[in-house]
Amino acid sequence: MKTQAAFKRLLVGRPMASGELGHTLLPKTIALPVFSSDALSSVAYASGEIILVLGVVGAAAVSNIVPVSMAVGGLLAIVVLSYRQTVRAYPSGGGAYTVSYDNLGMYPGLLAAAALLLDYVLTVSVSTVAGVDALVSSAPQLAEHKVSLGIFFVLLVALANLRGVRESGTFFALPTYGFILCMYVLLGTGFVKCLGGCPVVDSTEGYGSAAGAVTLLLLLKAFSAGTTALTGVEAISNGVTAFRYPQSKNAAITLVLMGSISISLFIGTSWLARSTQVVFTHTSERTVIAQMAEAIFGEGPFFYVINALTAAILFLAANTAFAGFPNLTSILAIDRFLPRQLMNRGDRLVFSNGVIILTFFACLLIVLFDATLNRLIQLYLVGVFISFTLSQAGMVVHWRKSREKGWRQSAAINGFGATLTAVVLVVVIQSKFLEGAYLVIAAIPVMIFAMRSVHRHYAELKAELGHPERVPADRRPGHQHMVILVERVDAATARAVGYVRSVRPADLHAVAFDDSVRDDWAKLAPQVELTVIPTGESRKARLKKHLRSLRNDLGRDDFLTLVVPEVLRSKGLWQILRQPGLQRLKASFLREPGVQVLDVPLDRSEAQAASETHRSIEPARNYVLVLVGGVHNATLQAIEYAETLRPTDLRAVSFGLDPEATEKLGNDWLASGIPHPLEIDDSPFRDIGGSLIDYVHRFKPDGVKRVVTVVMPEFIVSKRRHQLLHGQTALIIKSRLLFERGVVAVSVPYHIED
Amino acid sequence: MPNNPAWLDRLTKPPEATRSENLRKWAETISGATPMAEASEQHRHKVAGVIQNIRIDPRQGSGCIEATVIDGSGEILAKWLGRQSMSGIHLGAGIVIEGMVGVGLDEEKVILNPEYQLIPGPQRG
Repeated sequence: MKTQAAFKRLLVGRPMASGELGHTLLPKTIALPVFSSDALSSVAYASGEIILVLGVVGAAAVSNIVPVSMAVGGLLAIVVLSYRQTVRAYPSGGGAYTVSYDNLGMYPGLLAAAALLLDYVLTVSVSTVAGVDALVSSAPQLAEHKVSLGIFFVLLVALANLRGVRESGTFFALPTYGFILCMYVLLGTGFVKCLGGCPVVDSTEGYGSAAGAVTLLLLLKAFSAGTTALTGVEAISNGVTAFRYPQSKNAAITLVLMGSISISLFIGTSWLARSTQVVFTHTSERTVIAQMAEAIFGEGPFFYVINALTAAILFLAANTAFAGFPNLTSILAIDRFLPRQLMNRGDRLVFSNGVIILTFFACLLIVLFDATLNRLIQLYLVGVFISFTLSQAGMVVHWRKSREKGWRQSAAINGFGATLTAVVLVVVIQSKFLEGAYLVIAAIPVMIFAMRSVHRHYAELKAELGHPERVPADRRPGHQHMVILVERVDAATARAVGYVRSVRPADLHAVAFDDSVRDDWAKLAPQVELTVIPTGESRKARLKKHLRSLRNDLGRDDFLTLVVPEVLRSKGLWQILRQPGLQRLKASFLREPGVQVLDVPLDRSEAQAASETHRSIEPARNYVLVLVGGVHNATLQAIEYAETLRPTDLRAVSFGLDPEATEKLGNDWLASGIPHPLEIDDSPFRDIGGSLIDYVHRFKPDGVKRVVTVVMPEFIVSKRRHQLLHGQTALIIKSRLLFERGVVAVSVPYHIED
Repeated sequence: MPNNPAWLDRLTKPPEATRSENLRKWAETISGATPMAEASEQHRHKVAGVIQNIRIDPRQGSGCIEATVIDGSGEILAKWLGRQSMSGIHLGAGIVIEGMVGVGLDEEKVILNPEYQLIPGPQRG
């Protein structure tokens, strides 16, 4: 066991096999804190946001906080009822994206997706910053370190999530329940004390004396500020599949429970804030809850406990987004709107790449907005209400289509909700546009455009791969033409010559860049003609020109292989750093149409063991493995290539596909009539390179008598930025394979024209 | 291995070992299934496990599908001949197979054309 692996295990835990996925299903008692911490935590700042708006026109206006909060509470109740229906109708998880995409079409779906992605990132930033504010309420000396504290807590939550939801769920249950309990204790005690005259916050601060009139516009603005209380309601509808069975029912119960707690705490907080005459401005050091706690319990233990719990639940709210964001990106990747790498589950079965991206952007926002809660919140609500509106509008269409019992009533509830949230969306945009919402409104079209282009690219790729004209249909592979690159004559070159002889290509010659190797070459392989390509331009350009002129004389079905012997001196990346020229050369020929690159590596110990006079020995056994992920033109081409290598044994192998995909691959293989066996192997810990190497070892390759050739079809797209959309799996596998004794690696590029 | 403290053992225990343990516990819950290690040759047995790998070999006549099924105690090769589709056979699927246990070329246990039933895999949900 390597130290590196043990360290990773200490950090993120034991790798889990794919079959262990079921272990991460959540019971209701755990699901409530996991999914509702976001919705509940907004209690911690929603009342404060309303006061910030009302306070501008003076202390008297602040008393309007209670009716405004009740309006927000009513809206929240309607949205909860509306989402309860979504949860029932979409047991497989009906986030705003799924519902809008299914019912309203692609662009509304993408709009919802973009809004949700932004929403999740902002949830992390806003909640974390609000949590840091709660900490600063107890410890004002921390105020200057807000940015670094925020980043620290984001990283902490990210790490918990890389370990997996279940464990983080148990860990998170306590603070959430603690917060709920403490809030009820605070509100209850406050209510009892107020019966005999309310205690009043002792504050040195005051509102501006510029007492203006309370206009309808001001009230609307206060209302839109208060709607932050609605954030996080959608979390449950996105995560139905994380619940235990019966999933829909459990999720619906949890949703109603969460809504009731959230509404009562929010209205209660606003009421108590008015009664205790909380003073909250942009410069306030203490949050609204902290001020109330101080007024009612004094600056005793309870004051510190409730601040700590407020901070804790806010960090957990960030956690909600960590459950939602990677899940959404994986769904988008499955639908081909985002790069496929986002579908991969990491060691702990979470979508690690999604977690990492979320962490990055959340930290970025915290830095850009200097960890100022009020500035971040301005960005927040637009995305939230876009997704609310689309999701409910989608549900109306869903009910109209399904016409199941009681559909009119269900459609009416969702329709009413959609209309309300659409109105609020307009109010929010209107009142927050200049304060930051314009950034979101600018970002959304860009995101939609990006997802659309990714989708178009994958669609073109699929069409191209299945294109009948590019199928090598006659099943008679062309001839093999091989060119050995001779940089020096050493043990690797000798091995390459032996290998190539066993293939018996139709045509074989060697190329060198200068004359100095000619004598040694004549000793090693007198029968193989050595061409020294003329000097002048760079080596790469010369070799390219040479190969192109050869390629022009060949038939369409023929293969032209560049054989690269290589003595590896050090592991992995170091090798690339040591021989940048050779690696760049190989990479550039991957992009050259009609040329395959075959690597014959030798490690240093083997090279040293070889005698001074090099002899080429033909391996007696050449086991050829073709890596496949599906049956398409790229695979067919790679198999035809493999057939020209005169293999002792030729088989296709596949590792680490999704279970469902393996059944499809099997069916396609049976239907294709390819006359070679296919082996579909599991990679239970999703380490494809490792599984392949274990597989290779079964053939006991020694490099001299027994060789394993791994043929890898590779997609090459003409635009380099598109290459990012294709797995880097081939590259990773190759860099590991080269260090296995007796393994020859061939890339068979399949060029895709955009 | 020298005497490592327990926490270090836990950190360095191969994940495969944990997986086998979990599989074995799961397989024990399937009624009527014999652990594969105890399934004697030339007898009819019912075994439960998870499909670990699949081979399709067109050279052995049309539609030969082989699946290695493991249950944490051992493995058995299920081999079906003359099939045009996978009919639910996929990696990681929980499966109960029943038939006469024979011996293959590499001394492995084989059941030829077993009756099979797909079941939910090892989850504790």
